Amino acid sequence: MGRVLLVFRLAARNLRRRPAEAGLLLLAITAATTTLTLGLVLRGVTDDPYQTTREATAGPDVVASAAADPYVGKPVDRAGLESLAGAPGVIDHSGPYPVIGAELEMDGATGSRRTPRGEVIGGEAGVWAVGRDSAAASVDQPELTAGSWVRDGGVVVEAGFADALDVHEGDRVTLAARACTFQTPTTPRECEVASRRSFRVVGVAVTAAARPYPDVCFAPSCPWAAEAVEDALAGGPPPGEPDQPVDDDAVAAEPPLEPGLVWLTEADARGLAPGGQPQSYVVNLKLADPTDAPAFVDAHFSPLMGAQILESWEDIRGAHEEVVRDQERVLQIGSRLVALLAVASIAVLVGGRMADQTRRVGLLKAVGGTPRLVAVVLLAEYTVVALVGSAAGLAAGRLAAPLLTDPGAALVGSAGAPSLTMSTVGVVTALALGVAAAATFVPAVRAARISTVHALDDAARPPRRTPWLIALSARLPVPLLLGLRVAARRPRRVVLNTASIFVTVTGIVAVLAARAQINQDAELVGGTDPTAVKANQVFLVITVTLVALAAVNAIFVTWATALDAKHSSALARTLGASPQQVSTGLSAAQVLPAFVGAVLGIAGGLALFAAVGGGGDGVTGPPPWQLLAVAPVTVLVMAALTTIPARVGARRPVAGTLRAEHA
Amino acid sequence: MRQEVVLAMLAKEPSYGYELRARLREALGPLGEAMNPGQVYVTLTRLEKAGLVTSRRAEGLADRPDRTVYGLTPAGQERVAEWLAEVSWPKPDLAEFHLKLVAAATAGLADPISIVDAQRRELLRRLRDAQRAALAEPDGSDAGLLLEGVVLRLQADLRWLETCERSWIDRRSRS
Amino acid sequence: MSDTGDTADTAVLRARGLRKHYGQGEGLVRAVDGVDLDVARGETVAVMGPSGCGKSTLLQLLGGLDRPTDGEVSLDGRRIDQMGEKALARMRRTAVGFVFQAFHLMEELSAVENVELPALLDGRPPRAARRRSLKLLEGVGLADRAGFLPSALSGGQRQRVAIARALSSEPLVVFADEPTGNLDSAATVDVLRLFETLHRGGQTLVVVTHDERIAATADRLISMRDGSFVDETRLSGGTGGDLGALVGLEG
Repeated sequence: MGRVLLVFRLAARNLRRRPAEAGLLLLAITAATTTLTLGLVLRGVTDDPYQTTREATAGPDVVASAAADPYVGKPVDRAGLESLAGAPGVIDHSGPYPVIGAELEMDGATGSRRTPRGEVIGGEAGVWAVGRDSAAASVDQPELTAGSWVRDGGVVVEAGFADALDVHEGDRVTLAARACTFQTPTTPRECEVASRRSFRVVGVAVTAAARPYPDVCFAPSCPWAAEAVEDALAGGPPPGEPDQPVDDDAVAAEPPLEPGLVWLTEADARGLAPGGQPQSYVVNLKLADPTDAPAFVDAHFSPLMGAQILESWEDIRGAHEEVVRDQERVLQIGSRLVALLAVASIAVLVGGRMADQTRRVGLLKAVGGTPRLVAVVLLAEYTVVALVGSAAGLAAGRLAAPLLTDPGAALVGSAGAPSLTMSTVGVVTALALGVAAAATFVPAVRAARISTVHALDDAARPPRRTPWLIALSARLPVPLLLGLRVAARRPRRVVLNTASIFVTVTGIVAVLAARAQINQDAELVGGTDPTAVKANQVFLVITVTLVALAAVNAIFVTWATALDAKHSSALARTLGASPQQVSTGLSAAQVLPAFVGAVLGIAGGLALFAAVGGGGDGVTGPPPWQLLAVAPVTVLVMAALTTIPARVGARRPVAGTLRAEHA
Repeated sequence: MRQEVVLAMLAKEPSYGYELRARLREALGPLGEAMNPGQVYVTLTRLEKAGLVTSRRAEGLADRPDRTVYGLTPAGQERVAEWLAEVSWPKPDLAEFHLKLVAAATAGLADPISIVDAQRRELLRRLRDAQRAALAEPDGSDAGLLLEGVVLRLQADLRWLETCERSWIDRRSRS
Repeated sequence: MSDTGDTADTAVLRARGLRKHYGQGEGLVRAVDGVDLDVARGETVAVMGPSGCGKSTLLQLLGGLDRPTDGEVSLDGRRIDQMGEKALARMRRTAVGFVFQAFHLMEELSAVENVELPALLDGRPPRAARRRSLKLLEGVGLADRAGFLPSALSGGQRQRVAIARALSSEPLVVFADEPTGNLDSAATVDVLRLFETLHRGGQTLVVVTHDERIAATADRLISMRDGSFVDETRLSGGTGGDLGALVGLEG
């Protein structure tokens, strides 16, 4: 028992004596465990939230909508939809429900909304309004996440749409439907507001029956279905349908741009429709065998204008997943990079303490400690730090995960916070303890082998001599001479430094490239892609973590270098170097490797981006100005970070240092 | 110089007086220059009287000591052998100085510390001279070796004087 | 005592009222407590005293490695106790040289690389600096070990490299702090020889030591105790006695 107490007393005292180092080690372990936790938790959460939503809302296997064609006077083929409901393989259906295209205006002070890039723009959002029963349907009954289901004068907003518009239960909105005349080469299209009504938001709900905002689609405006039509028409006009006369004065409701989804009562929906005529009708079908859905869609496909448009649940799921997939990929890569960097930091920290450990080992042995006792004390120290770090990392990861794993709020999976499974806790703790064990292993082995005298001898790690570097540095200006020689004394530290900057810059360049690609995609779509919003948030978090960890690393390494170079700095000053030259040199010893690491990191980042499948749409990397800026910015940041520890190191009183040190 | 030294110089073979002197001078190097030439002959005479040395005049020359051949008697040989085996060493003669300090302090005649300082100054000067001379000698010369010995002993004496000074300062501050 | 009269004009180093205090109140330590000193050009001055008497601190004050609490130090007529760091640095590489008890050589540099360091720090071209360093090493008798690392040199050799380094800038004054403290007697003699040679060449030397042999090379020997000077001896002009008497050849 006394032994155990002794071990902990020694370990505690060692930690207390070097609080800054222990703190930095803790920080690095926490960062590594946090990102590892994020990565693991994220993987758990995006485990098919669409499926969860489908089950919760009795989602349909096929969604079929049909629109009127007012320009040729063709009404909505409601009968066709109803016959679909009775087609072979269909066991249940809901609808047909009327669908009206409209614009949604938010009442209240701003009436504005934010785009994915965070710009605030004014006015209206496009929306498809579906008229529903207040009674629950058997297929596709959206699940409420707030408030209650439709009633007269009330509108229920789809959850992802509500999130993007920042609409909440209780807000008042106005729905306005426009009617436009037909556009010919000679007559411009004129659109007027045909009806306008104010509604109260009575609820927010999720559904598995529609693509995520802003890709909600019903006939006649369904871009994904339109592709199939084009393919089919490529072979020539369809047989059978003669050209129909066009009614120039026909008035049609305008299909909304980038629409979201809301639900109204059927009566309210018909009241909103221009001329009382809804643009289209939608029916939700349930099949005997859900896997037949794609075949069903193909079987009933027709490229004719005004024909039904069908979507299978698998198409819809794909649309949802795409939103999440990009984020997930980015997050996983980012978390791996951060973990790598954290490991590099830990290696630097632990390696930096190695020399100190050897000396302490010697002291313990000199006062009668066995190598085993020494190893146990070291292990105890590192284990304590590792356990605290892993606990902190798990907690931080758990808290941060919901911010990132919210799959656009459009699916049920986001409703609950992601939970820590036992396996996550286990993996993270194991990693932290593994680091502790590894950190102990080397000094412990040394302790067993090294003679006490050698361990106590402070020259346990004599500096390395690199003749060509010494000769080269003689030709350089004084600060570079000093800096190069300081760096050359500990080549392993230089390598670790370069590696950590390399990892950081690789991550940042890859993130910038991904950001460029996603934002370009978003621009193509029209600038309101919520995927881009979330993705940019994720990028920001990863970049901040990478930079923070690299900064901590930089400061610590400079400080450790300054300590290590205490004697030679004092000596250089005795021989006539000014404090400014010495501090610039100490800084340069970090900045030069950082520059090399940055340049290599640019290549690394581009390679990483390509390796994870980036590079669509001609985007192979970040914009050139960003690429060119990486190296200079890294150098400047490094210089700024290292200035203070370098200056502190350079201004120590010469006399004291020389007096204290021996040859 | 002790007479045994001269005896030992004759141990190899009988020699003329002048040869003896030459041998001594060689062994002492430049320090031998300062040696009193008559010293050797006085010693030889004493040794002869003591029966440790024999002398024989060379034929045909006037009665001059440097022309005399000297040799060892068996008693002389024995004495040399004994002397070589002796491990006596010149004793440090510190009592006189110590008593000087005590007397000065007791009688109130002078400040012991200034006596010590004065002595230190003198010894330092001697040390400087001896050191200079020693450094001027070529490496490995006999004279250099002798002078190094002087330097080191002076150094030791100086250290003792430093200790005396400290001790007398303490005594003064305590009283 | 010191002839401030005639050395005033030729004094290359002058100190007046030097004080260095550490701590305060009960814990006040007067390392140097009111020291006046004039060192003439070409003079060798030795300061002796027991451990803790403040002689090393004094040397650091005289050489500009530390700032005094009070008093002034002038080198070649210029005040150095109030110089800025940059000017001090310049002075250290052009006007003074230091030799330490612990040698303080850079372990990873060879002998010649150590010696050329002050010249490189002063911005001299590397080839010229290298040539001069080799010459200096020759002067201390280590030309054949120019490429050796300090770890491959004996204590005496290391100190000689340090002396060569101190001479690199043709300094006005060479300050030596216990130069033979870590050396055996043979190495001490080597250093002694060097100091004598330097002295004969007109180099001004200020040495702090408790080795009497080193002190004996000085023109002036100052004793220090408890932070101030207590005695001064002029050593030039020896006893005039004959050397034979020194070795006991009389009687």
